[in-house]
Amino acid sequence: MKNGRWITQTESSTCLSEALAIWVRDLRSEFRTRYAVNAILMFAVTTLIAVSFSIGSFRIAETEKPFLNGVLLWVILVFSALSGLSRSFVKEEEAGTMDVLKLSARPQAVFLGKLFFNLTLLGALELIIVPAFIIMMGYEIELPGCFTAMVVSAGLGLGAGTTIVAAMIAQASARGALFSALSFPLLLPLMIVAIKGCERAAVGTDAAGWPEVRIAVAYIVIMIIMSLFLFPLIWEE
Amino acid sequence: MIYKILLAVWMTFIIVASFMFTEAASGFPGETSRILFFHVPQAWVATLCFLLSMIGSALYLAKRRLGSDDLAHSAAELGFLFCILATVTGSIFAKATWGSYWNWDPRETSIVILLMIYGAYFALRSAVPDPEKKRVFAAVYSILAFVTVPFLVFVVPRITTSLHPEDTMNPAKPGMDPRTLKVFLGSLFAYTTLFVWMLRLRMRLLYLEHLKDPIARMRRDGGIE
Amino acid sequence: MNKGYALKVEGICKHYSQTLLLDDVSFSVKQGDVLAVTGWNGSGKSTLMRIIAGLVRPSAGRVLMFAGEEVIPKEMRRRFLGMVAPALSLYDELTGVENMEFFCKVRGVPYHRSDSLALMEQVGLGGHEKKRCRDYSSGMKQRLKIVQALVHKPPLLLLDEPGSNLDSKGIKIVENVVAEQREMGITIIASNEKREVDYADRIINLSE
Repeated sequence: MKNGRWITQTESSTCLSEALAIWVRDLRSEFRTRYAVNAILMFAVTTLIAVSFSIGSFRIAETEKPFLNGVLLWVILVFSALSGLSRSFVKEEEAGTMDVLKLSARPQAVFLGKLFFNLTLLGALELIIVPAFIIMMGYEIELPGCFTAMVVSAGLGLGAGTTIVAAMIAQASARGALFSALSFPLLLPLMIVAIKGCERAAVGTDAAGWPEVRIAVAYIVIMIIMSLFLFPLIWEE
Repeated sequence: MIYKILLAVWMTFIIVASFMFTEAASGFPGETSRILFFHVPQAWVATLCFLLSMIGSALYLAKRRLGSDDLAHSAAELGFLFCILATVTGSIFAKATWGSYWNWDPRETSIVILLMIYGAYFALRSAVPDPEKKRVFAAVYSILAFVTVPFLVFVVPRITTSLHPEDTMNPAKPGMDPRTLKVFLGSLFAYTTLFVWMLRLRMRLLYLEHLKDPIARMRRDGGIE
Repeated sequence: MNKGYALKVEGICKHYSQTLLLDDVSFSVKQGDVLAVTGWNGSGKSTLMRIIAGLVRPSAGRVLMFAGEEVIPKEMRRRFLGMVAPALSLYDELTGVENMEFFCKVRGVPYHRSDSLALMEQVGLGGHEKKRCRDYSSGMKQRLKIVQALVHKPPLLLLDEPGSNLDSKGIKIVENVVAEQREMGITIIASNEKREVDYADRIINLSE
C-alpha cells in the first residue's frame, strides 16, 4: 500500500480553507466570464441614471432630501442585488457542476464560499453606486462615518439573507422571479432599517444612525447562523 | 357534527352581541369600534397560523413525518386566508376612521409582509417538482421567514409612529368596559375554534391525498411517517 | 496496518413519482473487488451510483462505508470516493490544472501541482493543462473527469459509463485505472458495454 494514500484521507482541513477555495474559484470564473457582475452593474447604473434624470437633485425639497435619497438609494441597491445574487448558484446548476460540487465539498464550506462571493459582488456594487448616487443626487451627509457603517452593514445583511434562498431557487424551476419573491420579505426589515439609518446619518441627529447599524449587524449574525444550520438540509438531496 | 352546529350558533350569537349587547367605544366615529370584535381575532389567528406553520416546518425537518409538513402547509393556507380577512377589515376601518384605505403604519406593514411571506411560501412549493425537496425547501423558508419576524415586531414600531389605536381598544389594558371585553373574548374563542376546525379538515384532506400515493403509503408502513 | 476498506449496501429502494425504480438492492464489496452494475436504460444504474456517492437520498435502506472496522460518516465520504459520470461536469472557464487544484483544495486534500500534472500526463492530457476546459474535446473532458476522480487517491471509485466519448487509447487508460484501483481499493462500474463489464469480478443486473 502506498503510504501517501492513508495520509490523504485522514489529514484534517478547516471548513474555512475549503470555503476560501470555493470563493477563489468563483472569483476566477467570474473574472473570466463576468456573468453576475454585468447583470448587477447594468441594472444599478441604468436605474441610477433613470432616477437621477427624472428626479435629479433639484426636484426634491431640502427637508425631504435625507429621507427620499435614502429610500431611492436602497431601492436601487436592493433591486440590483436581487438581479444578480442568485447567479453563482444558478450557474452551477446550468453548467452541470452542482453535482460535482455536492460530491466534493462540505455544505458549510459551500455556503460560506458562496456567501463570500456574493458579498464581494455587493461590495463592488456599493463601491461604485453609492458615491455615484451621492454625487448625482446631491446627497448631503453630516456623519459620513456612520453612513458608511450603515451602507456596509446593510450590504453584508443583503448577502447574508439571500445566499441560502439563491441555493434553493437554483434547484427549482421558476428561478428569476422566484428569487425576488422569496428574498424580498426576508430583506424588508433590513431595508427599512437601512433607510432609516442612512436618513439619520445624513441629518446628523444626536444618536445618529448607530442603533440602526447595530440592528443590521444583529440581522447579519442571525441570518448567517440560521443559514449555516439550514443549508446542509437543502444542499443534500 | 354537533360541534359544528354549536360553533355556528356561538358565532351568530357573538355577531349579534357585538352590535346589540355592547356600546360603541367613544372617540371613534359611529359604530366603527365594533370592528374590534372581528379584525383583531382575525389578525390573531393569522399570526397563530404563522407560528404553527413554523413549528410544523421545524418538526418536519427534524423527523420527516408527512403529518408535520401537512400541518405547515395547512396552517400557511389558513394563515393566508385570515391575513386577507384581517387586511380587508382593517382597511375598511381605516377608511371609516382616518379617511384612507391604506397608511403603512407598522401593524399594516407587518400584515402585508406576512401576506408576502405566505405568497412566497406557496410560490416556492409550486416551483419545486420533486416532492421531498419541495417539503424541505418550504420548511426551510418558513423557518427563515419566522426568524425575521422579531425584527419587524420590535424594530419597525420604534422607527415609525403607529396609527393603530392602543389605549381604548387594547384588551390587555383595563380601559375596556366589561361587556366589550366579554364579547371580544367570546369572538376570539369563536375564531380560534373556527380555525382549529378548518385546520383539522384541511389536514385530513392532505392525509387522504397521501393515501392515494403508494410512496407515501410505503413511508407510513415503513414507520417513516 | 492494513486498513481494508469495504462498502455495504443494504435494502436500497428508490421511488420517483409513482414508479419504483430500485427495489431492495443489497450487496457488499471489499478491498480489491471490482463490481459491475448492469441493466436496461432506465433501470436505475446511475441512480444507484448517485445513492452510493451520497448525492441522492434513498427512499429506504442505507449505504455504509467502512475503513477497517470503523464506519466512515457521510460527511467524510467525499474524501474517500471519486466518481466519473456523464452528469458530472467540470468548470469550463478554468484550465485543466486549475480544476484539479480546486477539487483538491475543496476536499481538504493537499494539493501538489506536480502530482496533478503527472496524473494528467497519465491520461494523455499532458500539454493541455493550461487550456480552458471549454476548449477541450468531449474525449478530453472525459479524461479530465477521470483525473478529477483520482486526484485525491480515493479508496472507492465509482465509474458510470467511463468509456463514453473515449477513443481506443482512452479506453486503455480506463482499463489501467481499473487495474490500479484494484490494488488500492474498490471499484464499481455502471455500464452496459461488454468490455467494461468484463473488467469486473462480479456483476449485478438491476433488470432482474
